[in-house]
Amino acid sequence: MIRETAVILVCGAMSLFSYPKIDKILEDLDGRYSMVADVKAKVELTQQKANQGTKKLEMTYYRSDKDKTFLIVMDAPENEKGNGYLRMEDNFWMYRRNTRTFQHINRDESIGGSDAKGDDFEDKKLTEMYKAAVDSNGNEIISDDTLGKIDVYRFEITAKVNDVDYPKKIYWMRKDNGLILKEAAYSQSGTLMQTAYYLKYTTIRKRQIAVKILYVDEFEKGNKSVVEISGISIDDLSDDIFTKAYLENLSK
Amino acid sequence: MNYLIKISLRNLQRQKRRNVLLGVAIAFGTMVLIMASAFSHGISDVLFNQIVVYVAGHVSVNFSENGNQFTQVFHDGPRALDIIKKAVPEMRSVQESMGIMARAIGNAKSDNIIMIGVDLKAGDEQDAKDAEKNFKMITGSFSDIGDTAIENAVLLSEQKAKYLNVKKGDILRVRYKLLNGQDQASRLTVAGIFKPANLFMSVPVMVEVKALKKLLGYSPDDIATLYLSLKKPKKDAVDVADKIQSLMKPSLAGIYADITGKDSIRARVTILGCKSDTASKRLLKSKISLIDSSSEITKESVFISDSLASVLKVKPGDQIPLVYIAKYDNDKGQGYLKISALFKSDSVIPSNVILVNEIDFYKVFYSKWPADFTKIPEAFVPDSQSSIYGVLSKEWNLLPRVKTTSEMTKQQREVGSKRIRGTSVSVQSMYESASAVLNLEKALYMITFIAVMILFFIILIGVVNTLRMTIRERTREIGTIRAIGMQKSDVKMTFVFETFFLSLFSALAGTVAAFAAMNVISLFKIDAGDNPIGMLLTNGHLHFAPTAVSIIGFIILIIAIAVATAYFPARKASNLSSAEALRHYE
Repeated sequence: MIRETAVILVCGAMSLFSYPKIDKILEDLDGRYSMVADVKAKVELTQQKANQGTKKLEMTYYRSDKDKTFLIVMDAPENEKGNGYLRMEDNFWMYRRNTRTFQHINRDESIGGSDAKGDDFEDKKLTEMYKAAVDSNGNEIISDDTLGKIDVYRFEITAKVNDVDYPKKIYWMRKDNGLILKEAAYSQSGTLMQTAYYLKYTTIRKRQIAVKILYVDEFEKGNKSVVEISGISIDDLSDDIFTKAYLENLSK
Repeated sequence: MNYLIKISLRNLQRQKRRNVLLGVAIAFGTMVLIMASAFSHGISDVLFNQIVVYVAGHVSVNFSENGNQFTQVFHDGPRALDIIKKAVPEMRSVQESMGIMARAIGNAKSDNIIMIGVDLKAGDEQDAKDAEKNFKMITGSFSDIGDTAIENAVLLSEQKAKYLNVKKGDILRVRYKLLNGQDQASRLTVAGIFKPANLFMSVPVMVEVKALKKLLGYSPDDIATLYLSLKKPKKDAVDVADKIQSLMKPSLAGIYADITGKDSIRARVTILGCKSDTASKRLLKSKISLIDSSSEITKESVFISDSLASVLKVKPGDQIPLVYIAKYDNDKGQGYLKISALFKSDSVIPSNVILVNEIDFYKVFYSKWPADFTKIPEAFVPDSQSSIYGVLSKEWNLLPRVKTTSEMTKQQREVGSKRIRGTSVSVQSMYESASAVLNLEKALYMITFIAVMILFFIILIGVVNTLRMTIRERTREIGTIRAIGMQKSDVKMTFVFETFFLSLFSALAGTVAAFAAMNVISLFKIDAGDNPIGMLLTNGHLHFAPTAVSIIGFIILIIAIAVATAYFPARKASNLSSAEALRHYE
């Protein structure tokens, strides 16, 4: 009896220690994705909706590292060209080229009429928003899995703050290099709402950046969006870029 | 006097055909005037008691949290309702107004919808009947919306049901935002399909308000924007709004809590919120002695006294849990605070006080409304004369009353752009919030009134002409009665009485005819289709609302105009000398 109990304990301990801690994974992910530099990049968003055809948006994204400010300048389609979105501290403005006016909008408002929102472009830390999900025994929910032929860890996290889109997420992370390959987002009612596939990564200053992501709307079948990031530059950006005047000058 | 009346009445019977025709003209004018007035009042009735009540309320109490117009919630709901019931003891109803955009998926079809909360218990029996009238059910029953045995029962219009390809008993899957901004998916059951009373009713999907609040994540003590329906809206709306405004003044916000430091050391403290605008931060900096003078006051600041930090063995950067007694249900609230800096306590800010930035403060405060800290003897309650009183957060932010719709829009924009923390509360009467609808009512009334008065003046020209003819015809008769001794004033009064009785009888006949015509017209059903004019109909019928005051007023007006019109020809007739009148020959 004592021997049997000892075996169960050892096996339990082994399985417990064979997985990395989820909070540590989140910390690593924050470190991996957090770009400690100014950033300029071209972002292409292709959105396909059931029975509505395809919509393609192109924009230039500028981010200042020191004060968490960002600017989005729309490059395409033609009717959106020159419009922009400027985030400074708590303020978020939308600029309309035609009327040359700035309007205060909420962070959760759409960018260029797409499903993308202002807060999607913010630099948010996973560790501040989520924590490891635990099962009824108090163990973190993490297991082995495979995506295609790639060995991955499948782990679950839950929100620790309300300020998130989805209170529960499941990630599939490569075992060999720690890159996220897939992310499933669930609503409070437990419905799978969205799946994200991280299709392509690039390395900048030894940090892995996802440059092609496919978002599949699991609620309304047939809707999907592809985000492609290119022309990433991490050179210092002038403070003048993050001003209303810069946006206004662009449309002159 | 009696003989004058008798002569007048006899004279009325002399030229029967002419008087009947004149009487018909006056009666017709009266009928049109009363009908137009009743129709105008009917529109007014529909606008005030059906459209304004649902669109903006006669008086509304609006809430928005953290400057977000879509987060319409007030967390101390029982208190707000109590204040309103005290302020307005005689109101028809108070109901929560909730509308939320959602994406709905039916049977292989999807569409955007608006989920609207319907409060089945608000209002009196008449309101319930009106509600049932608005929802002419094709399948299912209106009351099924409140059936808790059905999973999230909803009613929708036949147009929406057709588009989403659903029928009674089918499930609608919906995606929407919860109160906290999270994406949520739920299932709704089609409990009934109705024929919309007007164009606007074809869009929303109706959900029982309690069920909708639950779907959106409201807690039991949370309420949404309140719409008040008054018994005398035109007269009382502004006064009621002013009264509620004066009673909704917020008190200082504070939490008396147990906090736990290192080694499970506990202390009881008063937690106060601090405003984050530049002026408040500057004032606080001048009043607080920070241990580390390089510490900045930011929107993330949480200050704890050095002596309390020493007792709890905590330092800046540490996170401390807190627990407190909630206001309702003997419940407890809890939260965390992350210390950012230490201050030296003094007589203004004692050691058992924690000053918290308003973002984190309201997060805890609103998560579970705390018991009133001012009634706890051990709690620190700053005096209103205290030098830091101005920087401390109130329970909510009461916005000043506005006078016009444009001021209201400007105010809403400012609340959003300044991202005012906490719940902003604004009280509005329909004159500010629904001025467009009220202006429409005024315009319709004026157009109707002017058109009818023009018609009536045309009729009066006929009256004057007829009187002049009558006097001319009776000139020799006037000479005779003047010769046998009738006074000038009596002659004048004979004509005035004659006109008075003619217009009185005609006006009464016109009133009867107006009621008959209104009843007949009301029987016809008008299919307005998608025409917005349909919103002015009641179940497809024209709605007339005649009032006794206006009818009596119109009859008096008609008689007065007719008598005034008759007065001058009558005076001219009475001024004729008898000899001259007797010589008159045509």
